[in-house]
Parts: sequence; C-alpha cells; structure tokens
Amino acid sequence: MPKTRNIVFLLLLVLVFLFAGGIVSPVELFDIVILQPMLNFLVLLTKVFFGSFGLAIIILTILVRVLTIPLTLKQMRSSRAMQELQPKIKELQKKYAKNKEKLAPEIQKLYKEYGVNPFGCAMPMLAQFPIWIGLYQSVIQGLGYAPENLFGLSKQLYSWSVIQEQVPLDSHFLGLDLGSGNLIMAILVAVSMWVLQKMSASPSADPSQQSMQRMLLWIMPLMFGFLALSFPSGLSLYWLLTNIITVLIQYRVSGWGSLQKPSLAALKGGPPRQVKAPENITGDSRDTDDGKDQVASQPEESGGVAAAGGEKKSVDKEAGPRRKKVGHGKHRGKRKVRRRSN
Amino acid sequence: MGSEGETLFVGTMDGRVIAVNAGGGTLWTWEPPAESGGSSIIACGGGGQFRAGMLYGSPVVSDGVLYVSSYNGRVYAIDAEKRYDIWKYDTGSPIAGGVAVANSTVFVGSSDGRLYALEANATMGKGSLKQGFEPFQTGDKIWSTPAVQDGIVYFGSLDQKLYALDSITGELIWEFPAAGAITSTPLIVDGVVYIGAFDSKFYALDAYTGDEKWVFEEADNWFWSKAVYANGTVYACSLDQRVYAIDAESGNLASGWVEPFDAGGDLKSAPVIVDNVLVVATEKGKLFGIDIKTGKSRWPDSIDLEVNVLSPLFASGDTFYVNAQDNRIYAFEGATGRQNWSIPLSE
Repeated sequence: MPKTRNIVFLLLLVLVFLFAGGIVSPVELFDIVILQPMLNFLVLLTKVFFGSFGLAIIILTILVRVLTIPLTLKQMRSSRAMQELQPKIKELQKKYAKNKEKLAPEIQKLYKEYGVNPFGCAMPMLAQFPIWIGLYQSVIQGLGYAPENLFGLSKQLYSWSVIQEQVPLDSHFLGLDLGSGNLIMAILVAVSMWVLQKMSASPSADPSQQSMQRMLLWIMPLMFGFLALSFPSGLSLYWLLTNIITVLIQYRVSGWGSLQKPSLAALKGGPPRQVKAPENITGDSRDTDDGKDQVASQPEESGGVAAAGGEKKSVDKEAGPRRKKVGHGKHRGKRKVRRRSN
Repeated sequence: MGSEGETLFVGTMDGRVIAVNAGGGTLWTWEPPAESGGSSIIACGGGGQFRAGMLYGSPVVSDGVLYVSSYNGRVYAIDAEKRYDIWKYDTGSPIAGGVAVANSTVFVGSSDGRLYALEANATMGKGSLKQGFEPFQTGDKIWSTPAVQDGIVYFGSLDQKLYALDSITGELIWEFPAAGAITSTPLIVDGVVYIGAFDSKFYALDAYTGDEKWVFEEADNWFWSKAVYANGTVYACSLDQRVYAIDAESGNLASGWVEPFDAGGDLKSAPVIVDNVLVVATEKGKLFGIDIKTGKSRWPDSIDLEVNVLSPLFASGDTFYVNAQDNRIYAFEGATGRQNWSIPLSE
C-alpha cells in the first residue's frame, strides 16, 4: 500500500511539474495519453471488423468495461459497505448531536473498526472517469457527424494510412444511422438506466433518502433517454452497452437489489429478512450459493444494524448462524473469511 | 460570405444572413422563417451547442436573388433587394456545404448523400427540383460545395470520390476515387480540376475525363478547404498546418518557394489572394500574408485575432474579410494587413 501511495504521489508530482511548467496542458495530456490511443484503436477495430463502426463501438466498450471491472467492483462494494454503516453513523450523529467535536473522531473510529475507507468508493470511480470520458469522446469524434467533429478528428488520428483511409467511418449499423438520434435506442437507454438505478438503489428507512432515490429512479432514465434522442445513436449504443455491463456487474455484487420482488413474509408484515454482513466490509466479497458476491444489505424494515460491540465487529452480529460455504471453481474450500487484525 | 457589387452577404452561425456595405455598415438582416417540422430542427453538437439552422456554406447572389443553404436541410431563395423569401426547398438532411448557381439551376449537396439540382426561377413558395435532373446519390454525406464549369458540375463526397455530372441531365460523366473523404470545393482552371482529400493527397485531374494528371503527396494531414490559383501555381492549405505552393503543370513544389509555409496552426479556412498576397487563417485566428512568389511573409507581422476562424476567407477588390467565431466580421487591406474595420454580427 505505501508503495502504491508513493507511485501515485510521484505521478502527481510529475503532472504538477508538466502543467506548471507549461510543457503540456491537462487537455493535451488527456488527448495524448487516453483519447488518441483509444480513438485510433477504435478506428483500427472498425477496419478489422469489416468496416463496421457499430461493431467496433461494441467491442471497445466491452473491452474497456472488462478491463476496468476491478475498479468498478471495488467502487460498488465500497459503496455498499458505506451504505451498511449509515445506520451506525446516524446513531453516532444522534449521540453526539451536541458534541460535534467528538463526532468526527468517533466516525473515523467506526470506519477503522469496520475497515471502511470513506474514499473507497470515490477513488475507483475517479480513476475510471478519464477512461469513460475517453471512450465517450472517441465515439463522438469517431462518428464525425458534423463538420466540426470531423475537423476535430483530424487532430486525433495517427497519420498511418490504414487509419486515415477509414475516415469517415461507416455510420450504418443494424439499420441504425449511428450519426443520428434514434427513438428505439433512446427507449432502450432509458429502460436500461432505470433497471440499473433500481438495482443499485439501497433500501433505506430514511424518508428523505427514499424520496431522493425515487426521484433519481425516474429522472436519470428520462434525462439519458432525452439525451440519447438528441445525440447520435452511436453514443446511445455505447450508453446502452455500458448500462448492460454495469447491470451484470451490479448483479454479481448485490443481486437484483430493489428489482427483486419483496418476500411474502415482508409483504405480510412478517419479520425482516436478515442478511448477513460481510466479514470485511471494505469490499472483499464472499461467494454464496447463488454464485453472487454477498455483501450485506440493510433490510428495509430493520431500521438499523446491531449495535457495535466487542473488539471485532461485523455489521449484523445478530444474524443467524453462518451459512456453510459452498465455494466453487478454483476457490472451492480455499477461501477464508478474512478478519481485520489490529 | 458572398457579394454583389458593393454589398457583402455574411452567413452567421445562428442562421442569419447580414448584408454589409463596403464601409462596414449593416444594411439589413435576414432570418429564416420560424416554422415547425423539417429535419434537424434541434440537434446537439459534440460540444452541446445548438445547431439548428447554422449556415456553414457561403451565401451566393445571382441575378438579384440570394441563395442560402442551411444545416436545417433547407435551401432558401431570397430577393436580395426587397428581402422577401421567394422559395425554399427541404432536402430533409443537414446541408454543410454551400450552393453553386449556373444556368438557372441551384446545385447543393446534402448529408443524405445526394446532389440536388433545384430550379432557380421557381415560383413563390415551394422550391422544386430541376426537371430532368434526378438527385444524384453518392455513397456518403456531401459536405463539399459544388463547382460548375462548362456544363459540368463537380463535387466531392465523404464516400472518398470526386464526381463530375452533366449539369443539365445529372448523368455521371466520370468519378474519381481518392483514398480519403473529400470536403473541399473543387478548383477548376484551364480544364483541370484541383482537389485535396483526407488521404493527405492533392490531385490534379482532367476536367473532362477525370484522368489523373498528377498527385501531390508531401502533406501530412487532410486537405479540408478549397485551394486557390494564381499565375500557374496552386496554393493549398493542409491540416498539417502548412501552406503548399504547387506547380500546376508538374505537381511539384513551386520553385519560388524555398519550403512550404508553416502557419503553426490548423488551416481549415479557405485562403484568398489579394494584391499578390496569399492570406491564410489558422483555426486559432492567426492571419498571415504570404508573398505568392517567394512564400515569405509580406506583412510586418502576422495578425492575431485571438478568436477561432473556421469560415472561408473572402476577398473583394483589395480587401479581404474574415467571418470569425466571435460573431464579428473583420475587413483588412490585403497588401499591408492593416485593419479597415470590424463590426459585430449580432445586436
């Protein structure tokens, strides 16, 4: 870990030197390091896949998303872990409502106890941003659907004839004009976004949070649907694919989430289903019977997790007896429940 | 930009045409009629900008009628004096080039890949296709402004071909396959068509047969804009930031120039020649006056407008005009580079 930190620090130092010295601007650096390799690779893929830009978008999106899976997983798991701690944080906030000075160290202590890094979900997401923007820009610029876009493309393409000859890229794919908005694609983008929002929404007892989630559940799909209608459908193809892949990853991490129908017991007002907490809440997942990563989720009706107690804590100590591990694949019988040790 | 007599007609990025006199006074402004329907009423660009009705192509005046092609897919014919709309025609797809007018016919290419021939003298209201000339379909968008000479209409397409059609019947006379898309307007001089393409090559073709006369291969990036010609030399700007002076006969670099002129910025705007000075503008708004014989700077200094310049330059008499992205038009003396005036194109 310290080694990684050193590398990041060194990298930041180099960047500061480059920017401050006027050697290269952030935009130029982004173009050279991310956009140009990605865009030129996209054009090459178009050449390889029979001149089909649509197919190239699909392949590149899958490739990039697959390569960034570790970061995505880390972000999702950290995010879940943070959600799990919210009731405990609320308790602390209540407890130290009149003593704000003590609140911060107590929350830090809580994070430490459960091995949660509050920046754990932000850092992987931030690290992926330049890649997503690069991919988005590659699709937009590759399409060159308006003169200024095509003009911009001339600055980003390598001078290799194999690449230059591909321009302009064929914008027709499966009956779609990738350079124009398309209603069906817009609907698909909106629906996939709704599914993703629904899956990733965490059950909450907090009415304000619930209301916010309900709002986002509709606003995000509508917004992306509208954008997909206005922007070239090549971009919609990228959004749709990204959503589908994220849905798959989300399913792997936390199952169907709020998409799942509530249990009969829950509908009848029976006791809430207790979901076991992970041993290491930072995102180390455990395989379960259904093959999905099991990260504790907060039952809607429970209103909170068990109070912390003891030296090592899991989020719900009151959960039933631990399920027998039914590992599979190469991890069968080898995976250990990791505990943090001080 | 276009002109008739002392009046300049300037197309703006918000779809208006402004008539300006030689002294820099605004005479009148034309706006496209507000209406619903049609193509591309709303389209967001890469930068999120609103692109409805932008005018990429230069307005053309012929016989007192102003012809304007708009990115909303329509071609408008406007009475240049009384300023009323005579007719409009909807191609149904964005138009990124300008129009060419010859023999009572308006030629325009559209993003649907078709070259349209419209009746210039259509009656009030709706424009019509020229009888006997079916829209000619190419393999990709047409962003090039057509050029007409000796009964032949020439235009490039993003399908990487240059086409020559009979201007009356629309029949294909010849087509020339380049190895890159073509967006620039063909330059036709003495039976030779000069055109640059996205394959970084500049071609000279026989105007009647399409046979290749020579090909210039020293550029490192695309040719985007129309070339200009003077005294046996063709001047072409490449997106490799250099201006090439090419001998029209041999296709070699002109002997008077020691080397291509390095403008230090992308050259998207078409250059002009005023008083033996070749004027070029970089995308970032730097203007250079180059001696056409020696390739050396003619002005004491280059001019830095500090604003993007993407539209073609326009020359009339001893003056050249720049339609810049700050929504202003600038007038300069060609020989010295001295600024005559500049006016805003918006209120």
